[in-house]
Amino acid sequence: MKISQLSLGVVTGIGGFLEAGSIATSAQAGAVFRYQLIWAVVLATAGLVLLTEMSGRLAAVSKRALTGAIRERFGFPYFMIVLVVGLVLSFLVLATEIGAVATALQMASGISYRWWALPIALVGWLLLWRGTFSVVENSSAMLGLISMAFAVGAVMMHPHWGEVASGMIPTLPTHDRANYWFTAVSIVGASISPYLYFVYSSGAIEEKWDESYLSGNRITAVFGNGMGGLLSIAVLVLAGLVFEPRGIKVEHYQQIAATLTPSMGHWGFIIFVATLAITAFGATVEVMLAAAYMTAQGFGWEWAEDARPREHARYSLVYTVLVLLAAVPLVIGIDPFKVTNFSMAISAASLPVSVLPLLVLMNDHELMGDHRNGWLSNAVLVLFGVLSVVLLLVAIPLQIMGGGG
Amino acid sequence: MLLSREVLDRQLIDRRGHKMGRVDGIVLELRPGAPPRVAFLECGGRSPWRRLGRRLYGWADAVQKLLPGRDVPTRIPWPAVLSMGVDIEVSLDATRTPEMALELWLREHVIQHLPWA
Repeated sequence: MKISQLSLGVVTGIGGFLEAGSIATSAQAGAVFRYQLIWAVVLATAGLVLLTEMSGRLAAVSKRALTGAIRERFGFPYFMIVLVVGLVLSFLVLATEIGAVATALQMASGISYRWWALPIALVGWLLLWRGTFSVVENSSAMLGLISMAFAVGAVMMHPHWGEVASGMIPTLPTHDRANYWFTAVSIVGASISPYLYFVYSSGAIEEKWDESYLSGNRITAVFGNGMGGLLSIAVLVLAGLVFEPRGIKVEHYQQIAATLTPSMGHWGFIIFVATLAITAFGATVEVMLAAAYMTAQGFGWEWAEDARPREHARYSLVYTVLVLLAAVPLVIGIDPFKVTNFSMAISAASLPVSVLPLLVLMNDHELMGDHRNGWLSNAVLVLFGVLSVVLLLVAIPLQIMGGGG
Repeated sequence: MLLSREVLDRQLIDRRGHKMGRVDGIVLELRPGAPPRVAFLECGGRSPWRRLGRRLYGWADAVQKLLPGRDVPTRIPWPAVLSMGVDIEVSLDATRTPEMALELWLREHVIQHLPWA
């Protein structure tokens, strides 16, 4: 297996999995329900492992990135649905991630996030514009390792591991019913961000994967996402230890720093700020790239991560406009944490738009030949799809009726 | 050959190896007493929007009119198709077709005016 392939997996795993959305939702879950929602992280991680593996396999076998394959199989009108949903979601997730970086900088400097939003958007834009995505990719993988601090912190706090393990089994809530299901849905939306597997399948095409990559693909999907999932659980456990006994609800990113300070003191604060800034910035650049890839692949334009803007005008314009738009809600003062909660719910709601076509593509004999899905992966994916739809159908009406639970 | 499965929506590659859009439409020629045959492949312009239904096509058409030279689809005569695999290779030069009109217009009027383009 090649080092480049492993690094792709690590980026998807750590720099990709743990970002603003999963830090926020895991912290909220732990604060209100202690360890009870760990099962939602486990379910979402398993779902992401499947989707990542399948989109990598699709690229290696059919030689098509996900968006291109969707357009060819389902036609232009369905592609437009995927594109519109994808761009709206990219806008929301971009606002989330930029807001989190801006909040981290506010915590470090005392200057309001509103002043940071546009500079962050411009720096992210410049990195893609100058064709340095591979630098971002590698450095966010390396720097993203700082998020391991959550795992270290969780171990240092000596949680009752039996209690943590029992959180892996789904149970019915005893209080805050509406909030319980809504948080579960948000965890799914935060963990399974479609941009992750859209970028992953595009990377596989750029690196010209063939069938010899399939075992490496399986390993990176399980390993990268599994690591990310463990870190999410660590955040949840920390919040369960620090906030839940005191009845503190998490309503700002600033509060979440308190998950690391009991074990690490002032260093905990610094590490939290750095982790939030680095992982969310890595995600910012990746979402921009995913949106531009998706548009270019669907319309058949040239696309490449190291593209010169003058030779890829339409492609470059997509991420330029999108990242500038995404900074606007923050500049006018919309709360970054509220943006996060909203975006993660929408992200979960949008999942069927990309998951269902992937399921069809993975069973297409002409496209996948002997590498199409077996009955087990189909069954698990269908089960996962049904569970997420049920969660969604339960959570949203409850949330509306409960007025925020 | 199944046109809808093996031709429509496939990636087009020009003779210099550049991506030049996807097959957005297929124009058939009806012949008396003989089966219809493919006259052109269409890409870009108003061609794909036609597939979204009358109302959306109308809107897309209105937007396209604002963009110079973009409402004309590129027509690729069937004999210009060189090979069909994952992608469809054609013997045209993309930069000389309307498919690239918007790309070139954006390059000249927008992108080039930004720093480090």
